[in-house]
Amino acid sequence: MQPDKEGKVTDTPRETRVLEAVVSLVDNVLHDFDVVDLLTELTERCADLLDIAAAAFLLADPLGQLRLLAATSTQTRELELFQLQADEGPCVECYATGEPVSVADLRTATARWPRFVPAALEGGVASVHAVPMRAAGIVLGSLGLFGSQPGELTESDLLVGQTLAHVACVALLQESAPTPSTVIPQLRSALNRRIVVEQAKGFLRERFDISVDEAFALLRRYAHAHGDHLTDVARQLMGEPSSRPALLDGMTQLVQG
Amino acid sequence: MAIHKQLLAAVDGRRGLAAADSLCEACVTLFEIDAAAISLIFPGVNSATLGSSDAAARVYDELQFTMGEGPCLDSVATRGPILVADLADTNKVRWPAYGPAMLDYKIRSVFAIPVVLAGEFVGALDLFRAQPGELPDDELAGAVVAAELAGAPLLDLMGSDLQAAVNDPGSSAWAEFNALSRTEVSQATGMLVAQLGVEPTDALVRLRAHAYATNRSATDVARDILDRRLRLEAD
Repeated sequence: MQPDKEGKVTDTPRETRVLEAVVSLVDNVLHDFDVVDLLTELTERCADLLDIAAAAFLLADPLGQLRLLAATSTQTRELELFQLQADEGPCVECYATGEPVSVADLRTATARWPRFVPAALEGGVASVHAVPMRAAGIVLGSLGLFGSQPGELTESDLLVGQTLAHVACVALLQESAPTPSTVIPQLRSALNRRIVVEQAKGFLRERFDISVDEAFALLRRYAHAHGDHLTDVARQLMGEPSSRPALLDGMTQLVQG
Repeated sequence: MAIHKQLLAAVDGRRGLAAADSLCEACVTLFEIDAAAISLIFPGVNSATLGSSDAAARVYDELQFTMGEGPCLDSVATRGPILVADLADTNKVRWPAYGPAMLDYKIRSVFAIPVVLAGEFVGALDLFRAQPGELPDDELAGAVVAAELAGAPLLDLMGSDLQAAVNDPGSSAWAEFNALSRTEVSQATGMLVAQLGVEPTDALVRLRAHAYATNRSATDVARDILDRRLRLEAD
C-alpha cells in the first residue's frame, strides 16, 4: 500500500491504475466508441490518476484557435477558465511550442499571463500544466491540467499525462493513417460533434429544468444504457425532431428511476 | 500573409452574398483552382448557389441541382469532404450525368468541403479546376478554413431581420467566428430549440439577431438565456 499525494493510503499502486486505465481506453478505441464520450472519460481518468482538480482537452480548429473538446466539468467558472485558455495560458503556449508547460505555483506567472492567472487563482487553481497532442508532425492541441494545490508534476506524472494525451490522439484519428489531408477534416468533425452535444445539453436543461452538467450526465447515462454513441443521441435529439418524443420518454424514465 | 488571414480579410466588413462572393474569389486567388462556389442545401427546400467567384462558377454549381447529383450534395450527404481528382477517370465514375457535363466545360477535378452551421451540415464550398490531380494538402487546409468562414454569410442570409445583404464595415469575421463557436452559444442554441420549437440553425439565427438588435455579444446573450434571465419570444 502506498500513500498518495495527500497522504491517503490507497490499495492499488498508481502504475497498476494507469495501466488499467490505458488498457480500458485502448480497448474502447479498438471497438466502437464515441469520441466526445471517450475524451471526457480520459479527462476524468487524468484528474484521478494525477490527483488534480480538473483536466481538459483543447483542440485546434482549422484557423488554429484552441477549442474546448472535453473537460472534467462544465461548471460556468471552470468553463470560462478552459475557454480563456484559447487566448493565453499554458495550453496556448503548449500548442504554440509543441512542448509541455508546467507552472508549479501559479502566483509566479502573473506577468506571463495577465488575464488568465487572476481568473484562475480566483477559481481556486494553484498550479497549471499542459502536455501537447501530436500526430503526423502536427500539434493538434493540448491537454490542460489544473491543480488546486501548488506543486510540480513529477516525471512520472508527465509521462502519465502524455500517455493519456496520446490515447486521445489515437482516438481522434483512428479512422485512417494521419496525413494533413485526413487530420484536418477529422479534427473539424470532432469539434462539430462537440457543438451538437453542447446543444443537446441546453435542450435537456430546458426540458428537465436541470443544470448543463446534469444534462450531460443524463445524456451519457442514456447513451450508455442504450448502447448508443453519445454524439449520435445528441444529433438525433437536435437534428431529428421526430425522434425526440421517444428519446425524451427514455430519459424521463432514467430521471425518475 | 498566412492563407487564413487572407481569407478572413476577404470577408471582413462584408455580409451575406457579398461576403460569400468575396470568399469564393479569394479561393480562386489563393489556390490553384479556376472557380469556386458556395451552395446551401436544406432537406425539403430548394437548394441554391449563394456565392460564386464568377458567372461560370455559378453555372458549374447550379448544374448539380438541376441534375440531382454532384459534389455539394454528396458532401452534405456524407458529412465529409468530396475530393475527385479526375472526372475523366473511367474507372471511377461518380456522377454519370454531372461528370460528363463538367468535362464539357473543361473542368477535370472537383472538390467539395461541407459547410456546418450550429452542427448541421447545410451546404458546401465547391472548388473547380481545369487540371486533373489531387488537391495539395495546404490548399485543402485553406479550403477547410474557407468553409468554416462561409458559415457566417449563410447565417446572414437566413436572418431576415438582419438586413443581410447590407455590408457592415464594422463587422469582424474573426470575432464572429469565435463567438459562434463558444460552448455557451451552443448550449443556449439547444435551449432555444426546446423553448421555441425551431431547428438549431434557426435558433442560432434568433440568438444572433437578438445580440445584434441589443448591441451585445452572442456570448453574453447566450449566458442570459442559460441562466434564464432572458427568454426570446416565439415568432
